[in-house]
Amino acid sequence: MMPHTSILCFLACYVVAFGLELTRFRGKSAVSRLISLGFTGAGLLAHTWYLLNRSHETSLPPLLSSTHDWMQVAAWLLALIYLVLAVLQNEMALGVFVLPVVLVLVASTYGLNHAPNNEIYAMQARRSWGLLHAALLVFGVVAAAGGLLSAVMYLLQHRRLKTRHAQPGGFQMPSLPRLAQANRWAFLLSFVLLTLGYASGLMLAIAAPDDEASVSLMEPVVLISGGVWTLMAGVVGWLLVHRGPVGRQVAWLTIVGLGCLLLTLFGLQLATGNIHSGTRSAAHAAQPEVRR
Amino acid sequence: MNLQVVYCNHQSAEISVREKLGFAKDRLPAAYAALRSAFPRAEWVVLSTCNRVEVYTAQEDPTQLPSHHELAQFFSDFHRVPVAEFFDDLLERTGPDVVRHLFQVAASLDSMVLGEPQIVAQVKEAYSLAQQHSGSGPLTNALFQRALGVAKRVRTETGLAEGRVSIASVAVGDFGRKIFDRFDDKKILVIGAGEMAIEAVRYLKDEGARQIWVCNRTQERAESLAREWGGEVRPFDRLDDWLSQADVIVSTTGADPCLVPVNRFKQARAKAKYKPVFVLDLGVPRDFEPAIRDLDDNVFLYCIDDLEAICEQNRRSRQREVDKALTIVDQEVDKLMGELYHRATGPIVKRLRDQWREVVDQEKKRLFQRLPHLEKDRSEIERSIEQMVNKLLHPPLEALRDEAREGTPHGLLDALRRLFRLQE
Repeated sequence: MMPHTSILCFLACYVVAFGLELTRFRGKSAVSRLISLGFTGAGLLAHTWYLLNRSHETSLPPLLSSTHDWMQVAAWLLALIYLVLAVLQNEMALGVFVLPVVLVLVASTYGLNHAPNNEIYAMQARRSWGLLHAALLVFGVVAAAGGLLSAVMYLLQHRRLKTRHAQPGGFQMPSLPRLAQANRWAFLLSFVLLTLGYASGLMLAIAAPDDEASVSLMEPVVLISGGVWTLMAGVVGWLLVHRGPVGRQVAWLTIVGLGCLLLTLFGLQLATGNIHSGTRSAAHAAQPEVRR
Repeated sequence: MNLQVVYCNHQSAEISVREKLGFAKDRLPAAYAALRSAFPRAEWVVLSTCNRVEVYTAQEDPTQLPSHHELAQFFSDFHRVPVAEFFDDLLERTGPDVVRHLFQVAASLDSMVLGEPQIVAQVKEAYSLAQQHSGSGPLTNALFQRALGVAKRVRTETGLAEGRVSIASVAVGDFGRKIFDRFDDKKILVIGAGEMAIEAVRYLKDEGARQIWVCNRTQERAESLAREWGGEVRPFDRLDDWLSQADVIVSTTGADPCLVPVNRFKQARAKAKYKPVFVLDLGVPRDFEPAIRDLDDNVFLYCIDDLEAICEQNRRSRQREVDKALTIVDQEVDKLMGELYHRATGPIVKRLRDQWREVVDQEKKRLFQRLPHLEKDRSEIERSIEQMVNKLLHPPLEALRDEAREGTPHGLLDALRRLFRLQE
């Protein structure tokens, strides 16, 4: 049996790492940066262990088992990407921006139901499609979070440069072109991934056999997500048409577009406790015993 | 053991004096040879930069050290400059003050620009050249190696090197590099030819700038600068064209009325399709009307006052770090001096202990030969003798240690040698 790791364990590591990242405002400190990276790494390790445990308990990949696990995976991915970037770009104060999102994601899972999504056990044959749907959505959400954060950083950097303020010694942000590029690519990537994610979800719903659990296309989550997707498509269209140097407008647009998307997705998750809460099938034939 | 430094720096001497006394790299071998032939038993390190000329000397025997006057004479002979021209600018420090001075120099506490990083490399190079020319020895090795360690400690434990303090470096480093990722594909327009523009262009070239346009009312001056920077001359009467094409504009004309009013730049912006432009207005009075910065989101205009305010802010925050750096220097000076004095007194202490042990061994041997019945209590007797020796040696060694805290106790060492007839 695998030893258990609690959420508090890695949450505490991320909190300490974030606290150390905040000391950048007081000046450069190689030691504090190193300790911060150490805590992030330790947190990520514990986080990975936790997800493996959950997967082992539910006999399902974390992406499929529950909204709780799905959000944990999103937080894990963000923490992983942050750690890689922090090692490569040690001077940049990325943790000040990324770690709060990781913390919010992890902390918000406290209020969510741990119980696995019962329909998943029933849809044995289409489980890999379900996995693809969930994976595309989670990667899309992480890309959206990246786009949102780069847009916020762009606006802060732009404001600093316009108001002619020196940047605090340890609080370095990437240059405007780099942030604009990251913003644009993250937005486009999230749009593509989320489009594919929604499309695969729709296909799953349409192609579901009568005797198996399915999601209604009239479910609020499907309708609201469709609305947000349309908004994103509008922004993407605008981005593709305006290729000129309009960085600040792009940043504001992505903040609105991706902000709406993330608020909708996570708001729905938190409000309903499960993304597909509207339908519950009685087909629980293949459900194994779940250890809590 | 004794240490000495004879030096002049940016605080004590004018640049005209420092230029005369400086040692070019190609003349250093000759300088070391001259020093060695004049004072063969001493160790030497010569540190010569644009802001300082320093000659460090170290020797075990203080009587063999060259005097201040002898070193001034060396400078005079080597550079063929009369002593009277620089003698008053030449300072001297000895003993722990030498260590403190070098540590402060290496940690950039003695630099013209507090916290500037180049001095560490210069100290390192001076030490390495001294090694190459057999100038350094055990004492200077310990001194310079520790100085480099102190510089590193100050750099990592204080914020002394943080924040740029020259206008051009703040402009390019703090702002330019955040507006543009790279400069090798950017068009740099230089209007006028002030000293600060030259410095800014130097920083931009360090960042990879290749396309430099020089635009000046005086054609000859423009041509000379263009040659110097590997740039191109652009006619001044077509300034509007260059304003619309340039990505970076450095201006230092200080023209009155201002060279580029809002309306003029507005037209240039329209032609430039509002691409990002970084404008460095280093002219006094300003060349670009301040309202230009509000024309659109992609105009980043900085005038000399904006940059000077940041430089001053950085200077103040560096100043706050000075006390921390000085504390580190003091700690390291005490540590090194302790080690050096220990090294100086160590051989005498060892000789004294060896001599007493020899006497003890002889007496023990004699005692146990004459009174063999004491053999059964041998260990107890040996322990008692040992304790007696330690107690008797304790006061002189303690006195030696106390004296050594203030410097090499030559008098006391000599007294010990004579009192106990310690052989060299």
